[in-house]
Amino acid sequence: MTPMIDIVFQMIIFFVLTVQMERDQLDERIRLAMSPHGPAVEQRDPRTVTIDVDDDGRIAIGRFPLSEQRLFTVMRAAVVQHGQTTPVVIRGDMDTAHHHIKRAMDICTRAGLFRIKFAAIKEAN
Amino acid sequence: MGTRHHRRKKQVIEAELSMTPMIDIVFQLLIYFILTFEPTDVMAHLDVFRPAPDSEPREQMETPNVLRVVIYQDGFTVNDRQMRLPEIERTLGRLAAIDQNQTVLIMATAHSRHANLIDILDLCAKVGLRNLSVVSMN
Repeated sequence: MTPMIDIVFQMIIFFVLTVQMERDQLDERIRLAMSPHGPAVEQRDPRTVTIDVDDDGRIAIGRFPLSEQRLFTVMRAAVVQHGQTTPVVIRGDMDTAHHHIKRAMDICTRAGLFRIKFAAIKEAN
Repeated sequence: MGTRHHRRKKQVIEAELSMTPMIDIVFQLLIYFILTFEPTDVMAHLDVFRPAPDSEPREQMETPNVLRVVIYQDGFTVNDRQMRLPEIERTLGRLAAIDQNQTVLIMATAHSRHANLIDILDLCAKVGLRNLSVVSMN
């Protein structure tokens, strides 16, 4: 039984660490708006690109700040690699002025992505 | 004969695993995970269509059959009439009852809060409208 217990513990540690890493990708300084009626996210497309826009209009992907030019390069690369159906999610802070969100959206449309999703909180825990 | 019996008994004893230390550790781990657990929020993704920035917004503005919701810093208008959220919900609900695939044009001014846009998108999701275009205005 001992080797089995060893393996099970290894697996537990692996899963706990990967869940933690996934959560660390999300910037907790961004306070999302509430949308109690929005469709819940059930399964994530692995191609999804998540763009963070904070209340000062700074654009980032996975906590890594990007200039507009860099973001365009990233989005263009995503379109070339995964096609025009690549899902884009914009996580905008609720106090962000619309023109900051517009900048991020315009870069997506310039790169050829016209379907955009806005992240919101359905149920707060 | 007698010694053989004795040896077999000894082997059985060696193969036993003492559970107490393992249970101690498992309980420690359990307590650690319960204490550090924080529930995550359920997320929603609101799907919209974003027309290309160089396409003529004027053309869409003047299409008579499209419902136009404009988001200002301090309120909303629907087809140029000022409305509050409950009123907008009723209007959108009436539209959805006719055709859920009807396009709704959502126009946000430059300094409007993102939360207001999410409010409108949430209402559209509530009544079941699917074709939403988000356009920016100056």
